[in-house]
Amino acid sequence: MNLLLIICAVCSGAAVVGLSALWAVETLKARRQGGFRSVLQRRYLHIVMSALCSGRGAVPRFPMLRRVGSRLVLAETLAGVVSMTYGLDVGLLRQVVARYGLDRWLLRRVRFAQGYRRARYLALLAVLPVGEGIPPRMARYGRSRNRYVRFFALMTRVSAEPLAALRRLADYAGPFSDTEVAEIMTWLRRGALPVAYEPLVASPSFNLRRVGLSVVRQFGIEEAEPLLLRLLDGEGPYASGTEALFTLCALHRPLVRREVSRCVARLSPSQRRALMRYMAQCSYSPQVLSRLFDDSESAYYDTIVRSYKRCLV
Amino acid sequence: MPRILIASDDEFARELVRLALAGVDAEVRCAGCGAELERLCARVLFDMVIVLRTAPFFCGRELIGRLRPEGLRRPVVYVLSWQQCEQTVLALLECGVDQYLTFPVSLQRLRAKVVSDLAVNGL
Repeated sequence: MNLLLIICAVCSGAAVVGLSALWAVETLKARRQGGFRSVLQRRYLHIVMSALCSGRGAVPRFPMLRRVGSRLVLAETLAGVVSMTYGLDVGLLRQVVARYGLDRWLLRRVRFAQGYRRARYLALLAVLPVGEGIPPRMARYGRSRNRYVRFFALMTRVSAEPLAALRRLADYAGPFSDTEVAEIMTWLRRGALPVAYEPLVASPSFNLRRVGLSVVRQFGIEEAEPLLLRLLDGEGPYASGTEALFTLCALHRPLVRREVSRCVARLSPSQRRALMRYMAQCSYSPQVLSRLFDDSESAYYDTIVRSYKRCLV
Repeated sequence: MPRILIASDDEFARELVRLALAGVDAEVRCAGCGAELERLCARVLFDMVIVLRTAPFFCGRELIGRLRPEGLRRPVVYVLSWQQCEQTVLALLECGVDQYLTFPVSLQRLRAKVVSDLAVNGL
């Protein structure tokens, strides 16, 4: 019995020591790998920026590209540079992508990955200047059940073929979320496509209207006011009345109008409160509210204005 | 030679801006956004500080007061960030930030602005 106990204790002790050693080795390996990735990314970034700044147009050489994970580091570096800047020499970046076959390599990774991992590779493809063969292969991912995969497949096609961008955005199945609209706005701000807000805001497509309203909000286009007032009267699940109302607030336009009153009357209690919070953020006077809301609701606005929350909402 | 400090916790963004300013005739140093930034600014009087986040300005620590000694116009403070909310930009400018640029940023434009601001300050 005692012998059995000793054997069990020794075995469990050995197992604990073995597992601890394994954990330590894995941790050291991960740390070393992370350090290697970080050093390699810095080196690649230096090479890319030197090539871009030199203006010679020669495709640079990247060391250690055959090592595992190096192509991903290069793709992430190029994507990082492209997404954080505009006005760079896209021709040179396109040549780098083509020379090292980054688009084809990412496409293979997309094919074999699943879920969020697939979406991540697609997001990289959407930012890189890819070859002509890539957009048609995105069609199958546009039908994916995963929302992120669907959206980044769309962004890959849109980035690769800017002339067909508006048609593709309009054809997208389902409404864009706020973060998706923000992603599209970032793409537009990189100067990928000259955009006129009017056809977007007046478009029959809900998604294009959302993008158009976002353009109006971000660039403070006050001339869009008549178009926004027209949108306020829209009803139904895919009407943009509420968003047009928030856009009017963002532009600090007068809200005491018949169209605005009609639109506010249609809002649910939670939407009305959200509107009041946004109005407080946009510094509207409480007097404006007396024309739009009843006294009990106006009291809520007063509490926001008088409290520290005004700075936080 | 003018001294520029780039502060960010994101190593990639920090390195990108540093490389973009490589052609500028200045000594460029990098730091993290937190205590390291304040420590360096307390030790060295920089001519320009480029902060790649807005959060350090809204943590209630009066960062500009710590970066810029009283009565001096130096360092010129630039903020580069993804935020474009009007209130955020106005709040930053009101608390003493000299220039606010949103990402994505044109590196040529950034370089030109830095060079012009350093020239205006006679550096």
